[in-house]
Amino acid sequence: MTAIEVEHLVKRFGGFTAVEDVSFTVPAGEVAALLGPNGAGKTTTIEVLEGFLAPSRGVVRVLGTDPRRGGRAGRAWRARIGLVLQSTSLDTQLTVAEAVSLYAGLFPEPMGAAEVIEMIDLGSDAGTRIGALSGGQRRRVDLGLGIIGRPEVLFLDEPTAGLDPEARRELWAVIQSLVAAGTTVLLTTHYIEEAQRLADRVIVLAEGRVVADATPDQLRARGGTPVIRYRLPPGTQARDLPPALSRYVDPGRGELSLPSADLTADLDALVGWARRNRADLTGLEVTPPSLEDAYIALTTDLPPAAEPADKQRVTCHG
Amino acid sequence: MAETFSPASSARARPAAPPLPGAGPLLGAQVRYQLLLLMRNPRALILSLAIPVLLLVLNSSRHTNLTPRLEEALVAGLATFGLIVTAYISHAIGLVTGRQDGVLRRWRATPLPTWCFFAGKIAATSLMALASVAIAIAAGMSLYRVHLTAGSALSLLVIFTLGALAWAALGTAVTPLVPTAQAAGPVLLLTYLPVILFSGGLGSLNSEPGWLATLARYLPAQPIIDAATRALRQAGGGPQIPGHDLAVLAAWAVAGVVASVWFFRWDPVRPRHARLP
Repeated sequence: MTAIEVEHLVKRFGGFTAVEDVSFTVPAGEVAALLGPNGAGKTTTIEVLEGFLAPSRGVVRVLGTDPRRGGRAGRAWRARIGLVLQSTSLDTQLTVAEAVSLYAGLFPEPMGAAEVIEMIDLGSDAGTRIGALSGGQRRRVDLGLGIIGRPEVLFLDEPTAGLDPEARRELWAVIQSLVAAGTTVLLTTHYIEEAQRLADRVIVLAEGRVVADATPDQLRARGGTPVIRYRLPPGTQARDLPPALSRYVDPGRGELSLPSADLTADLDALVGWARRNRADLTGLEVTPPSLEDAYIALTTDLPPAAEPADKQRVTCHG
Repeated sequence: MAETFSPASSARARPAAPPLPGAGPLLGAQVRYQLLLLMRNPRALILSLAIPVLLLVLNSSRHTNLTPRLEEALVAGLATFGLIVTAYISHAIGLVTGRQDGVLRRWRATPLPTWCFFAGKIAATSLMALASVAIAIAAGMSLYRVHLTAGSALSLLVIFTLGALAWAALGTAVTPLVPTAQAAGPVLLLTYLPVILFSGGLGSLNSEPGWLATLARYLPAQPIIDAATRALRQAGGGPQIPGHDLAVLAAWAVAGVVASVWFFRWDPVRPRHARLP
């Protein structure tokens, strides 16, 4: 079953095109990340899916329903989705327990308030006013309010933006527990590590267009070649290595850093040299191409916007 | 942790989806929630409850030889002032702040019916405004020669309730004109201070021109002050509800609701989109 469908979505604000012909689908139970730099159209896309913005052109459906449909049907649909907005959106005068109980009362089959508070790990702060919580704790309250109705689809708009690394990891843990339970999640982020950690699938947006739609591994494979790194033993100079390797030594750091198109041949040359010279290979590492490299390659040096989006789209996924 | 969560898809596999919560419990929860916000907002409490009493105390030390008729008008005027500060200023600032902080947007994304959100907020605001009025009249009774009968109390309840609803509806309608919480003070003061001044809420105007007196009768402050003054002067008998004053307030309430339905904005003001060259 398809949980989210986006077909040729275009969104304009006056003369400015924020989203230009974006299409993708998210099957039920999948975690998809919209990844892209600031201004790529991530938030605009997610706001159309949440029903806050009307598309200028194209069709979007969430759980088979147009998010802009109002009335009683709209209420029933809203009870099936959850969302965490880009910035914290909480009444700071309420305590954590008051906010969670208030929102629980809106849904037909909510989770228990105590259950949610435990899930967002704020049991010891249940009686604390939200205004007195740290940024990371407030974000967890945001998430708690987003999931209390047992949503089938959860939208997370930059859920960890501005958080310190520890708070980010804590929030990831909560999201991962949701994912394990089968909730469909669409999250926007500009943190590559976040997409890699949470998502089954990464949709890269740049300048309002989809430039890649693939699994993290598929994307990473496009990041170029693996790199052989080796810190030279003391007393060894670059010129002591075979010429094919020596030009990749950084003399200042005394380190070989070789982007390898033929890993077997290059490693063979290095190991052969080490055997002949009885050099210690401790510290030798081969790093795979990174998602970051792929992401940077995809989001920089884009062709002119006037070209049809289809020509630039690279689709590896289903 | 993970094993405790399950999305509602399993529940939806049943023959009928579970019904959404009914309007009664939703509205009750909204009124409680909005009252809690007001009670925990020191600025709103001082504006609503303390300032009208303070003005009554200051006036009592300034005027030592007011006639009873002027005293009743003064108490009615300052009680109305407190009501408007609560129902218009605090209410509108609360909405603009909620809009700016994204709280309104979050509410809009929930299954709560829109009318229920506004009804809850306006009802809580009106209750707070009536509390402000009660405190101001109690202070007036202890500081001035103002008395209440059962009939006059009922008249006051009707007129102040309708007044609070009208001003809360207008406070909701004015929020699209206020871009940010920081801009709320000037916009709201500019819209309500002339009305309350022309209506004699801060002391009667002895030499106002005729056209201004006529205009004030149709603005939403003077009908409250006039009706409340008459109620405070009421010696006995049942409640006396003046038709003109009620009609004017009801018209403003309807105008406020209609304008809110058409123009209310849930989202913060967006910065203008533009590509850098």
